[in-house]
Amino acid sequence: MKTRISLLLIIVGLLAASCKDFLDVNTDPNNPTEVSPDLVLPVGLNYTAVYEQQDRGLNHLGNMMMFNFGESNGFSWYDQEFKYNATSTFYDQMFDDAYSRSLKQYNILVNRPEGYYKAIGMIMEAYHFQILVDLYGDIPYSEALERGKKSNPKYDKGEEVYNDLLTKLSTAIATIDSTSNAESSVKVGDDDTVFGGDMSKWKAFANTLKIRILTRLSDTKPASFINDELAKISNSGAGYITDDVTINPGYEKEQEGKQNPYWNQLGVNASGTETLSYKATCATQFVINFFQNTNDTTRLGAIFQEDPSGYKGINQGQPNNSDDQTPDYVSNLKLGGGVLKSATMGSAIFTLAEHELNLAELAFKGFNVSGSAQSHYEAGIQASFDYLGASGASSYYTNGKENVDWNNSSNKMDAIMTQKWLATMGITAEQAWFDYNRTGYPDAKPVGVSTGPTAPTGFPLSAQAGSNKDRPVRLHYPASEITRNGSNVPDQPDPFTQKIFWAQ
Amino acid sequence: MIRKLLSLIACILILSGAVYAQGTVTGTVTDKETGDTFPGVNVVIPQLQIGAATNANGEYTIKNVPAGTYTITASFVGYKKYTAQIQVSDGEKVVHNIVLVPSVVGLNDVVVTAYGISRGKNSVAYQTQSVSSEDLNNAEVTSVAEGLVGKVAGLQINTQTSGVNSQKQILLRGLRSISGNNEALIVIDGSIASQSAFNDLNPNDIKSVDVLKGATAASLYGSNASNGALIVTTKQGDHDGLKVKYNHSTTWREVAYMPDFQSKFGSGWDGVYTPGENTNWGPRFDGQMRRIGPDFPADYPLDNQMVPYAPVKDNLKNFFNRGATAQNTISLSGGNESGSFYLSVGDQQTDGIVPNDEYKKYNFTANGSKELGDVTLGVNASFFKDNKNVVGNNIGAQDRAFYWFVLNNPKEIPLNKYSNWQDPTSYGYPDNYYNAYYENPYWAIGTNRDKSESKRLRGNISASWDIIDNINVTGRLGVNTVSGIGKDYRAAQHYDPQLKPSMTDVPSYVTDSEYQNTQVTGNLVAKGDFQLTEAFGLNAILGSSVETHQYRGSSMTANNLSIPNFFDISNGTGKIDASVNESQKRTFGVFGDFTFNYKEWAYLNVTGRQDFTSTLPSDNNSYFYPSAGLSLVLSKAIPAIGDIPFLSLLKVTANNSTVYKDLNPYQVNETYSQSGSFPFGTINGFYLSGTAIDNNIKKEKLNSTEFGLNTAFFDGRVTFDASYYFTKTTNLITNISPSIASGSTGYLTNIGQLSGNGMEFSLGGNVIEAKDFSWNVNLNYTSYEQKVDEIQPGADEIAIESYNAGYGTYAIKDMVFPQIKAVSYVRDPQGRVVIDPETGNPLIGDLKPMGKTTPDYTLGLNTSVNYKGLTVSATMDYRTGYVYYAQGLDIMEFTGRSIESASANRQNFVFPNSSYPDGNGGYTENTNIPISGGTMDFWQNHYNQIKENYVKDATAFKLRELSVNYSIPVELISKTRVISKLSVGLVAHNLLTILPDGQTKFSDPEFKNTGGGYDQNGIGVGGYLTPPPTRSYGFVVNIEF
Repeated sequence: MKTRISLLLIIVGLLAASCKDFLDVNTDPNNPTEVSPDLVLPVGLNYTAVYEQQDRGLNHLGNMMMFNFGESNGFSWYDQEFKYNATSTFYDQMFDDAYSRSLKQYNILVNRPEGYYKAIGMIMEAYHFQILVDLYGDIPYSEALERGKKSNPKYDKGEEVYNDLLTKLSTAIATIDSTSNAESSVKVGDDDTVFGGDMSKWKAFANTLKIRILTRLSDTKPASFINDELAKISNSGAGYITDDVTINPGYEKEQEGKQNPYWNQLGVNASGTETLSYKATCATQFVINFFQNTNDTTRLGAIFQEDPSGYKGINQGQPNNSDDQTPDYVSNLKLGGGVLKSATMGSAIFTLAEHELNLAELAFKGFNVSGSAQSHYEAGIQASFDYLGASGASSYYTNGKENVDWNNSSNKMDAIMTQKWLATMGITAEQAWFDYNRTGYPDAKPVGVSTGPTAPTGFPLSAQAGSNKDRPVRLHYPASEITRNGSNVPDQPDPFTQKIFWAQ
Repeated sequence: MIRKLLSLIACILILSGAVYAQGTVTGTVTDKETGDTFPGVNVVIPQLQIGAATNANGEYTIKNVPAGTYTITASFVGYKKYTAQIQVSDGEKVVHNIVLVPSVVGLNDVVVTAYGISRGKNSVAYQTQSVSSEDLNNAEVTSVAEGLVGKVAGLQINTQTSGVNSQKQILLRGLRSISGNNEALIVIDGSIASQSAFNDLNPNDIKSVDVLKGATAASLYGSNASNGALIVTTKQGDHDGLKVKYNHSTTWREVAYMPDFQSKFGSGWDGVYTPGENTNWGPRFDGQMRRIGPDFPADYPLDNQMVPYAPVKDNLKNFFNRGATAQNTISLSGGNESGSFYLSVGDQQTDGIVPNDEYKKYNFTANGSKELGDVTLGVNASFFKDNKNVVGNNIGAQDRAFYWFVLNNPKEIPLNKYSNWQDPTSYGYPDNYYNAYYENPYWAIGTNRDKSESKRLRGNISASWDIIDNINVTGRLGVNTVSGIGKDYRAAQHYDPQLKPSMTDVPSYVTDSEYQNTQVTGNLVAKGDFQLTEAFGLNAILGSSVETHQYRGSSMTANNLSIPNFFDISNGTGKIDASVNESQKRTFGVFGDFTFNYKEWAYLNVTGRQDFTSTLPSDNNSYFYPSAGLSLVLSKAIPAIGDIPFLSLLKVTANNSTVYKDLNPYQVNETYSQSGSFPFGTINGFYLSGTAIDNNIKKEKLNSTEFGLNTAFFDGRVTFDASYYFTKTTNLITNISPSIASGSTGYLTNIGQLSGNGMEFSLGGNVIEAKDFSWNVNLNYTSYEQKVDEIQPGADEIAIESYNAGYGTYAIKDMVFPQIKAVSYVRDPQGRVVIDPETGNPLIGDLKPMGKTTPDYTLGLNTSVNYKGLTVSATMDYRTGYVYYAQGLDIMEFTGRSIESASANRQNFVFPNSSYPDGNGGYTENTNIPISGGTMDFWQNHYNQIKENYVKDATAFKLRELSVNYSIPVELISKTRVISKLSVGLVAHNLLTILPDGQTKFSDPEFKNTGGGYDQNGIGVGGYLTPPPTRSYGFVVNIEF
């Protein structure tokens, strides 16, 4: 009996002894725990492209706010937009996607040792954080992106975020310079789907972003502040972008998920089918009239489809029940045109036109910018025509029309903002909305077409806007922050009256 | 088998050393009730302190008995102690046969506990409940879980989907973990298995299900134990002769009820009739002939479709078929003194209520045991195979669930007239179909299929060795392996843009998937039974167990197929989307369990288990689980109680245990995954997972304390059991919802504390027990509540499953878990709804708690009445005091199909019981400001945003089972000489459901849209992703040869 029991104890003992290796199986075979920065960067950039260009993305929001697009018969697609129903669920993905997708990836780069990647991470963080301030005002910034270490980040003043972004961009430029001097620095290659690893272009982009920031600040900051910052830009010697900034990881035409997101969602999907959003979306008659009345037919033709009966739009929130308002009879976005060029076109995140118009504004306001306001203004229009593949920019900006021809424009700010509105239409239209909120321009009034109630400035409003309301000047904080960060999120601002700090 | 197992543990040590060459006492022990011989009974001559246990044939031999007169006793758990006088002379062999009489009805139960160890119910210090084969399957259920509903106090089974093989959630005593798995552990024939293995069992193969309700009962199972356990024992052969049984049932299944919908208004938008609308915002029905669907061109082979603009009765309900399920099981069982076997073959074929939905399953079971000297070898094995072929659930360009396409039809549409979808000259044809937005569901059935097949081998082999009389070692190796394949496809659809301008072409895809899931468990358990002194006994168990779990699943999808209706990966264009997922988990544990008894009326049980797991950080992956319990049989201990004439048992128990829960594999590290669209050419990309991980994550701790009372009256004809328990869960491993600005959408960490308590009562009785007539009733009462004591500093709540539209399930500090929150009305101090005085519309308020999603209490009642051979049984339950979110009803508000949307006849009206601010901080009653947009806009965009409107009382009374069985009298069938038993019966399930009065019926409150997965605990949100609730009825035939 004793032997039998001993045998038993030995078996149990052996089992216990071998259990250490036995338990060593907790390595995930399908998901790595560490990856190099060249695998992190392109995902961040892809998220940025999607953020800007997807259906209900940032550009789309801008198009809705700036009266660019209407809705075809057969759809109740844009009820929320046409009502300016700026609640906590209205475009809440603008907040959530920025932090949980793009910024999360860029923050990994910021914390990497590789200098170039670190700098790109900082520049792209600045790009996103500025947009977040422009949309929301005060945002989580200094305590953001800490993941598990800070589940409930506090909110920082939008103005302080703006100031820090300027510093961050300077640091990024300095980091690029110091990395170039270091031997054996890790180079960036094709995984940089914006500039292909050309770090001088990243420095230029950092300066360009600074100009966007300074332009936005130009009404509220002292001139000395703006000029000091302009001097830093000038001293960096890195210049500005000379081309549109687009992201193209290598879009493919016939692969779902690999097409340009704007084409894929507002154009034609990978199986060759025109999407519902494409059909639902058309020009507003106001926009068509505006192009036509200003002899801007090449840009009109590049952006919108001309049907056999001519251009036909539907103004926002107007009844759209008649048969000739179905998608086949209205001016949808032009497939193969200037906005929807192709399934493989790059995703625009910053246009050269906008940059030139920013410089035009700074020059017009007398800040220390090289080049005259008019030259930047005309360069901006030229860049817009170039982006759209439209011809005749110079004959357009010399056609003598108000807010087209610099010399014939009585209100230069109106002219700059009108051109920014047209140049960003369908591309980065949110920029026109931000500046409209800041400046009240463009002041373009509907001509020969009935629109809804008109905003105080005269720029048209959706017919479904409440009579006492203007278009929103910001977004509500998202539902996710109310449920997940309730102790820090500020009280909901009035989205129609409480302007972002740079407009106050 | 149970008796035999008991025999192994119930031997007594022979203490006598003195040996004289004297007489022998021998004999056979039999059971009075059955006449069967009785192995494992202790036959003792106390004066001499000698004795013996009966062998497999029920025979005992006590040698070396000196001459004299003695008292001889025999005892066995659940039987009256036998006492008699014998006289022995030198050299004589005395034959003394013993007949054991069951002590009281209901008390001769033994409980099958952890590791298949049977124990006498008296010695068990925790609460269990056993469901026998007859109780489980008297109404011919299609799954074991279905057969348990309403029969066990503390056990809640939620049917979460409708359909041919519906998904069940099995909860014991509610939810104790916020994010962790709360489902009960399943043990089949002594080996840990899985819920899916449980679902795959043939109910006809089940001998019993023992429900170990609390963590203490299951604590020997380590980290699996915290949710209690269902110990399933499958049928074994008897030790005599051969029995052949055949069982057949056919049941029909039909829609029990459809949602309550308005039938006053038909197709249209904003009050205007529109042909082709799925929405119901048209004018009031007027009976006029109107065009529905496209305006066909002049040369089109079809005339425009005209229907009366009038409600069609049951137009959606009639879409569904009457389904049918046929089940057949043949079993063979038998054996001899040293061995037994049970073999069965079963099949089940189901046609669903959705046309062409099919499900088939087959079960093969082989159980056997063989004694070889002091070793008993056993095998329990079953093979299962099923095939499912149902309509897909990603239908149309919008990837909608199937039921959506049924619900999105106005009341004037005769939906069941569109089955002819392949004929271009039929109105069912895609281009001709009336609905401009959502496709013909018949077309969906024909072009979208989800097919799957799985095969499971589950079983174990065991060897049990009686090393010496009172020590036994049992080793058991179990396997539960399932593999499956699936094919899910969707055919492409191109629409004529002239006829269907609003339709987007549907792209095709085919997904092929495979998985294999293998669980291997082994355990080695040594048991010893020691009579330490005359009064003290010790039952000791030492053991070890090992469990490995391995999963691999892969899936590939090809899109935009080139050849129509050819669903193969090779037919895709573009790149194939493919993924592989693997995981592995191993645990190892050693444990001990010691039960001391004093005179068989006081039992003290202490257990401990040390566990090692692969899923926690290696420096902190081992933990110890203690438990202690006390059982006092007062009716035996205190003569005054024992002498109460009608009281046959009074037992009290108390226990406490601590168990821990570990993580899932690989959760301790943050990982990267390939990003959706990547690679682009040579550029690859990985994203950091949305969930951040706490570097110091620890195991989750559950402490529970339970008090129990077991009583029996009138020789066990009436029993009453009660238990009260409380639990505390701390260090909850929870995926909390941090601010998204933290750069993570989830954060896995230990938080907070949940504390719960509950009560269970069960009252059973044979109310009438006469010669030809009997009536018994079993009543179960369950109530429990888990309260959130603490979430974490700075946070008072976490979303379990939240929807951006403004509702979800939450864990909220100081409230019962889980809790529904929804966007609410704004109310003034008097509780009136505050409106906007300019529009008259109610203000849209914040997300507010709306109630808990677990019942205040559940009452289950089973009863059966028997007259001669006729038995009528019924099972019903009533759950109340909780709410659910009727997901889908809110969407029907958008489409104008809801009752509410027509309640004011599409007119503006003064919102009832409302007020508006008077400007001085008070409120003025609103008597005259009507809402605006009553034609449509109010309902679609305003009322619909106040999600409080869709939080409904989940109270339900359900008649779960009703059966009538008739056993043909033996006299009639004995003439056949072949058939020994024959019974026929009628059965019905869910025949009746009563939901609260005055509340719009939508779906079954038990339904849940997202079963499984991380949000499995977010119970209480459901309704529209699964077809409507069903009821079934049919007949059953049982024949024994």
